[in-house]
Amino acid sequence: MTDEVLFEFLHMEMVSNVYKEQQSNKMQMDNKDRAACVSVLESMGFRVGQGLIERLTRDSPSFKDELDIMKFICKDFWTKVFRRQIDNLRTNHQGTYVLQDNKFTMLTQLSNGKQYLDHAPKHLAFSCGMVRGALSNLGLDSVVTAEVAVMPSCKFQVVIQKL
Amino acid sequence: MTVHNLYIFDRNGNCLYYNEWNRKKQAGISKEEEYKLMYGMLFSIRSFVSKMSPLDMKDGFLSFHTSKYRLHYYETPSGLKFVMNTDLSVSNARETLQHIYSNLYVEYIVKNPVCVLGQSLDSELFSSRLDAFIRALPYYSPRAA
Repeated sequence: MTDEVLFEFLHMEMVSNVYKEQQSNKMQMDNKDRAACVSVLESMGFRVGQGLIERLTRDSPSFKDELDIMKFICKDFWTKVFRRQIDNLRTNHQGTYVLQDNKFTMLTQLSNGKQYLDHAPKHLAFSCGMVRGALSNLGLDSVVTAEVAVMPSCKFQVVIQKL
Repeated sequence: MTVHNLYIFDRNGNCLYYNEWNRKKQAGISKEEEYKLMYGMLFSIRSFVSKMSPLDMKDGFLSFHTSKYRLHYYETPSGLKFVMNTDLSVSNARETLQHIYSNLYVEYIVKNPVCVLGQSLDSELFSSRLDAFIRALPYYSPRAA
């Protein structure tokens, strides 16, 4: 039980630290600064995701196809990292997937609706990076974004880049 | 059987949260003065109790009561003070206050990245959960005794 709290607090502090550093030289944060913070957090998550995949899949057989990989992300990966599974996976079968989590761990303590909605994206950046890193180490280049309408439910959109 | 109101103070005396459920009579002074009065009283009574106690003090000040209501007090090791006024039928609310601290405050305020410790508690999630918890207490009823 205590292990989970450690990561939650560390993640909270990481996000606020990145934003404080970016703001230290100016009074107001503009959109460029916000984008810079998000990409810092995302690249941190990328490296973590890559490492996690090496560890999580060391005993599994190789995956049949893209959809199989996405299902692995939705079930095993999400369970190991967030202690729950993705509630809904949708795809257009052409490389775009939408993963919906109705009780995303990073958002449950924030609010139960619309309060603090503008703070939500900060706390999703690291997780987007983790998914992107995981996919990249499984051989798939992708772009991962997240959106929140009503907390704590959120949608991650994965677009696989075809070379 | 009812809960009248609840105050939460931090270690510096700032009132972080206040809510009332069944308060028939207001204090007649502004809310800021009321919080200061409450905190000042708690501070004085705690030091009085520890000075004048004829035995070694274990928990210190726990509650006082009048002929109409009882005030319950719970202080956490981190200096957070929970004060709850209920009617006389509730003899010990310590467990309730402990539950409010560990299951509501820690869960929804400390773990909320947006809430800064030491500032007043704005999270709607915390308010709604606390409200639901109070209303679900066995000794709470909407019609005041």
